[in-house]
Amino acid sequence: MGKQVDLLQGTLEILILKAISLGPLHGYGMLLRIQQISGERLEIPQGSFYIALYRIEHKGWIKGEWGESENKRRAKFYRLTPAGARRLKSETEKWSQMTDVVNTVLCATPEQI
Amino acid sequence: MVADDRRRQHGPVRNAGADMIFFAQLRSQLGSWWSALVHRTRVDNDIEAELQFHIDAHTQHLIETGVSPTEAARRARVEFGRVDVQKEKYRSAIGLQPLHEIGGDIRYGLRSLYKKPVVSLVAVFSLALGIGATTAIFSLIYTALLHPFPYSGADRIVNPAVINEEHPEVPTWFALTPPQFESLGKAKSIESIVGFTLVGLTATGEDLVEDVRAAYITSNASGFFGVPVKIGRNIQPFDVAKGMPPSNVVVLDYKYWQRKYDRDPKVLGQSLQLNHENYTVIGVMPQRFAFTQTVGNADVYIPWTPARVSHLFPWIKLKPGVSLATANAELQSFLNQFKRETPKHFPAAFRVSVQPIIEPYVHRTGRTLALLFASVIVLLLIGCANCSILLFASGESRQHELAIRSAIGASRFRIVRQLLIESLAISCAGAAIGVVASFWLAELPLRLMPDAFAQEAAITINLPILAFSVALALFTGLLFGLSPALRLSRPNVSQIIQGTARAAAGTSKRMLNLLIGGQIALTFVLLGLAGAAIAGFMKITSIQPGYDPHNVMAVDIPLKQDTKKNQVERATYIDQLRKRAAAVPGVLSVAVASDASLPSPPFAGMGTQAPFEILGGQSQQDLHAAIYLVGAEYFATLKIPLVKGRIWDQTENRRGDFVAVVNQTLAQRYWPKGDAIGHQIRAASLKDDGTPLSAASPHSGEWRQVVGVVADSRNNGLEQPTAPAIFVPYTTFMWDNTQLLIRTAGSPLASLKTIRTALHSINPEQRTMTEVFELEEGLQRQPIWIQQRLFSILFSFFAFLALALSSVGLASTVAFAVTRRMKELGIRMALGAQRSHVVWIVVRATLGTVACGIAVGLLLNLSLVKVIQHWSPGSVSAPWVFGTMTLLLLVCATIACLLPARQAASLDPMKTLRCD
Repeated sequence: MGKQVDLLQGTLEILILKAISLGPLHGYGMLLRIQQISGERLEIPQGSFYIALYRIEHKGWIKGEWGESENKRRAKFYRLTPAGARRLKSETEKWSQMTDVVNTVLCATPEQI
Repeated sequence: MVADDRRRQHGPVRNAGADMIFFAQLRSQLGSWWSALVHRTRVDNDIEAELQFHIDAHTQHLIETGVSPTEAARRARVEFGRVDVQKEKYRSAIGLQPLHEIGGDIRYGLRSLYKKPVVSLVAVFSLALGIGATTAIFSLIYTALLHPFPYSGADRIVNPAVINEEHPEVPTWFALTPPQFESLGKAKSIESIVGFTLVGLTATGEDLVEDVRAAYITSNASGFFGVPVKIGRNIQPFDVAKGMPPSNVVVLDYKYWQRKYDRDPKVLGQSLQLNHENYTVIGVMPQRFAFTQTVGNADVYIPWTPARVSHLFPWIKLKPGVSLATANAELQSFLNQFKRETPKHFPAAFRVSVQPIIEPYVHRTGRTLALLFASVIVLLLIGCANCSILLFASGESRQHELAIRSAIGASRFRIVRQLLIESLAISCAGAAIGVVASFWLAELPLRLMPDAFAQEAAITINLPILAFSVALALFTGLLFGLSPALRLSRPNVSQIIQGTARAAAGTSKRMLNLLIGGQIALTFVLLGLAGAAIAGFMKITSIQPGYDPHNVMAVDIPLKQDTKKNQVERATYIDQLRKRAAAVPGVLSVAVASDASLPSPPFAGMGTQAPFEILGGQSQQDLHAAIYLVGAEYFATLKIPLVKGRIWDQTENRRGDFVAVVNQTLAQRYWPKGDAIGHQIRAASLKDDGTPLSAASPHSGEWRQVVGVVADSRNNGLEQPTAPAIFVPYTTFMWDNTQLLIRTAGSPLASLKTIRTALHSINPEQRTMTEVFELEEGLQRQPIWIQQRLFSILFSFFAFLALALSSVGLASTVAFAVTRRMKELGIRMALGAQRSHVVWIVVRATLGTVACGIAVGLLLNLSLVKVIQHWSPGSVSAPWVFGTMTLLLLVCATIACLLPARQAASLDPMKTLRCD
């Protein structure tokens, strides 16, 4: 594993939403995919993962269905709901706005003040 | 900035979208909560399967990276954590964890209550009893004694009476003609008006002529009273429709139906012949309805028509919000008008005074009821205290368990919540049972003594007081269930687990002792009240009435209005009846007595006093005496001894004038030198008032000489001092009613039939009222007798309950102390202590508290003697009462302490030492 970045609270939810938006997945698959996309820079603790997953399912942003996995085993697959897609979009926007602002402040040089 | 503009442009749209998003989210949340609760097992299984899949997938992944299968499986499981714990995390993720925990608490709480059945049952029972008794008694007081009538709008129904300015103490009624009645009905203060006349009829068509009291009542009566019939139908306006002959229908009163028809429902449609006219029975009134208790009950109700009876007496229901003064003022103008039309119906000078029908009942029992209510509250407090003691004591014994829970990680909040749920379970169970019990308990006094209450009384549970008692009980349960929790939630865990803790720190012991002591003190107060009530009742039963009522009965003799008009004829007729009755074998003596001193009093009662004058006395003095119209044999029949002088003889009896006899009270009050004989007195009320029903002797209102003085007899209620009384021959003033007092050798009622036959031999149409009463029974029907008996029973009941509760509380405290100190006691016994010594040790501490409680209770009782005297005038607080109660309490407390202690003494020391 490379250098690990600590996740801010609440970002796990966005990551899950994003992971699912690329295609329906079961829980373990989501975990792998996120880690893969991040270039192995993120390690998600398994305990908090499912809590976040159940929380966003509770809120109706993803929907779970039982299906068959690759090795013919019964697994629950989640897909994004329209509400979830909207949520993903709005959260992504907010995230980039926030990072923009924070970046601006952090990059301030003495001459700009 | 561009972003800002864009944001502002999309503003309103975004707001609407935000609402939609919120609702969609809410809907989804509710849905998942629903499935989590309702389809719990399926959801559980799903989660387990899903998480298990995750572990398997991870195992597989690890195996692919080269780890050995067993090692992979182990690592997967370890990294994931327990599936159970994950399930909990799931529930907490969706917010249902607290609910789940509470569910678990409830199940655990119920189980632990079930394991301690005695404590739980007694705690529940104490609460239930307190709530039930309080609510029942308060409802009883409220509905039966303050609002005894089942009529709709009973608090607005008034008896319109007039105060005769010449005899202002006694209200009188007035009769109205039909047109007057109708115009009165239009008065602005009046919502509705019902008219009635009580008439004595005879049930003809049978072998023995029987009296039937009929109430002719206007057809709007069913709407006025609002009490539905039990069977059949009520009198309706179409029964007296104008232009058609009135239908001969009759509605029966419940008691008459019970007496004569034995409650046969097939009476509907049958024919009843009254005064040679046939009436069809169309309905029966319910038991609660009895019209009218203030004057005399009716047996049947017949629709009123002008042809049947020419006049009416009104009862009025005032409009809501109309004050009595307003009603009086308005009615005064109406009645003044009526007086001009029918002057004979009204006194010369009068003013209107409407009397609410509920008043007589309030005056009778008000103060003692307040005391009764206070004692019920005390009982409630005792019940709550008892429950508290039990919860407290049982909480002490759980220290060990709570310490362990705290050690393995239970938060303070969770422990408190657990204890809270347990005490809530007890409180709620107690409250639920208490509510049910209150309904049952409320009926009890009515069934035990139906005479003490208005016949129309029916108990309904008073909801505010029910809510109050339930709230109090819940609060107490919570408070005392929680207190060990609040104290123990930070226990010295290690000490307690090792069992070396000084169990029950100082504060808790003090609290327990306080509760027990308080309970004992309150119980003592209740016992004192009960003792006082019983003593008062015993005093009343031992009061000498001043005459001998044994084997004497009073038979009512109504006289027909039309015949026997002349005073002489009437006197002769009555004397004839008297002689004939005296000739019946088995009859020792018969006397004539006429009940009241003034014609047609609306609220009849003995002892209504009238003014009189003494010749030669100071005229400023306001002299009052009860005036009795009796025959010469009255004193002999009732065995009232003559103190001075003589009784009038037969000639004087027939004449009626110029003689009078007074009782000792009057003689001593106005002629203290003892020279009553020979003085002249007169009473204006004896004058002939010209009303059609009365007949007076020629000089009835003039001076009469006092010829004798008789000993006092109770004439103002059993407990009141004798009022001054004047006895004059009954021939002085007669109206349509008189009484015969008959003393028989054996039981008077056995001779009743022979006597009635004898009277009928003189006049076959002579009615003798079916209800005859024995004088002894009359004594027992006195309000003070009934009241005091009722109160003795009620107070004793409460005291007994309180005693039972306290004993149980005491016993359980001792029992808990025993279990707590079992090891210590075992050691003592192993070291050689006698069993009796062990018992003494256990009992010693509690007895101290009990003694304190008794002392405090005694002090309370003594200081409250004056208060009790004021609030319950019938009760007697005597030293011997307190002594007896103290003894009783001591005995009960000792037994309560000794029983569990003896159990302790019978322990096997080996067993106790071994157990932990």
